[in-house]
Amino acid sequence: MRGRALGSRLILWGLVAVVALWLAAPFVWLFVTSISYQRNLLARPLAFVPPEVTLANYKMILGLVRFHAEGQAAKILPSMLNSLIVAGAVTLLNLAVGTTAGYAYARFRFPLKSLSLYALLFTRMLPTIVLIPAFFLMLRALGLQNTLTGLVVAYCSFTLPFTVWIMKAYFETIPDELDRSALVDGCNRFQAYYRVVLPVSGPGLVAGGAFTFMLCWNEFIVAQVLNTRLGTTTLPPVIAGMNGQINIDYSVIAASGFLAALPAVILVLVFQKYMVQGLTAGSVKG
Amino acid sequence: MSLADVNLLSASGPALEVLGVRLPLFRFVGLRNYLRTFADPLYWSSLARTAYFVAAFVLEATLVGLGMALVLHERFPGRALMRGVLLIPWSLSRVVVGLLWVGILDFEFGALNGLLQRLGLIDGSIAFFKDGFSALNVLVGVYMWNQAPFATLLFLAGMQSIPLELYMAAEADGAGYWQRLRYVTLPAIKPIVFLVLVVATVNGFLMLDLIYVLTMGGPGHDTTTITWLGFQTAFTFFKFGPGAAILYTLTAFCLLLTFLYHKVMFRRLGGEA
Repeated sequence: MRGRALGSRLILWGLVAVVALWLAAPFVWLFVTSISYQRNLLARPLAFVPPEVTLANYKMILGLVRFHAEGQAAKILPSMLNSLIVAGAVTLLNLAVGTTAGYAYARFRFPLKSLSLYALLFTRMLPTIVLIPAFFLMLRALGLQNTLTGLVVAYCSFTLPFTVWIMKAYFETIPDELDRSALVDGCNRFQAYYRVVLPVSGPGLVAGGAFTFMLCWNEFIVAQVLNTRLGTTTLPPVIAGMNGQINIDYSVIAASGFLAALPAVILVLVFQKYMVQGLTAGSVKG
Repeated sequence: MSLADVNLLSASGPALEVLGVRLPLFRFVGLRNYLRTFADPLYWSSLARTAYFVAAFVLEATLVGLGMALVLHERFPGRALMRGVLLIPWSLSRVVVGLLWVGILDFEFGALNGLLQRLGLIDGSIAFFKDGFSALNVLVGVYMWNQAPFATLLFLAGMQSIPLELYMAAEADGAGYWQRLRYVTLPAIKPIVFLVLVVATVNGFLMLDLIYVLTMGGPGHDTTTITWLGFQTAFTFFKFGPGAAILYTLTAFCLLLTFLYHKVMFRRLGGEA
């Protein structure tokens, strides 16, 4: 009996190790290549612990040292700033507009409520790629092509429906006696919302906000198509562009990739609990 | 738009000015863009590749997702940490996912080739992207690495809602691990399996960014799926009308699938109530 328990525990630990390796090893290898020299990556037999460690790749993409492809690398920092501005603005707009709309859907009855809610769900199911030609033409007509504002508008159109649904689901878990007692105490509806309900909605806000930020920070195709002019695009298109260049060492691209990955990975690891709750509550309920 | 003749390269042409915003007027061409699309053999071969890609991806993502969920559902030290690690592949931008796997699968500097050589399993290097079918399968695998964790999340959420008494009762009746899996766990997460299948199918149809980073639809047209064909038609060749027509056939399919899903789900819930 004892032996069998130990045996099955060993099998379990083995499986856990396999899963951990499968999930983390590729990402760890990205980091290893980013602190290696290209010549060591090309060497055979391949050393899995890098024989030489260097920060040269990071110095190159951050513009601290000159090298042959510095024109490409010089785009990294400005596009990173663009990514930060766009993702930050979309997240703030989502939290301001999406949560308020979610609150309204959770608490009020109004005409066309279920119709508009299903319209939101419908836009969520509509593939982004199908909307891009339409975005392209509309933003060009409005003069918003190649601007960060245009990108913010486009991203909001497919993140907001999701935020509204997550926040609606979250507010429905908060008993509405809380709002009612605030109303009895002399608050108006809006005060009841932002003084009483919002302060206890931290987990929901974190889930919605972190997910929106991650989505925008990682988005590639829309930015690639809408913002083609130099200096107006975000990080993923710049990295994808470097990936196609033969004259740039893979180790340099890996360094930029690792920098691009870090914010989203940290965000997800820190807010893991809330994000998982928000995402699974939204989808498992259907 | 899929019903219009849109030429983006010409700035002139009929237009309507409203409040300083120039609205182009498109020539209505009826179903010509659709007819042209359906007459193109590349459309149909891409459809066949898409079908293979989606089927392989759905199968892999569901099985690996379920497998990881079954492991992570057990109790072991470091389980909380593992649930964080689970989200790493899913939280990466697909551009990063693509270039990260380039570092592993590349012919010259790829770590997998290096590993296989060190283990003495191969002499030269394997060119994963040279053969079209191999490249398509690499795309399936890489996308699965990125997406399976989300399936695992959904499965885990489902498994956690199974009452512990069910397992205890099964154990008291002498059921082993596989019997508990077969008669307790799997029946309880059946609706989630269905959800995962639908989500994976839709995501499989729409996969685009990995093709951009890894294969650009090549070699030849061997990794050209419907989504890539539509994207390329619209944004590489700037034929918005035909491009939108191709993408709309895709949308119709995804919406149909989601509609079926909701119908089945609501009927099931209605039956239980």
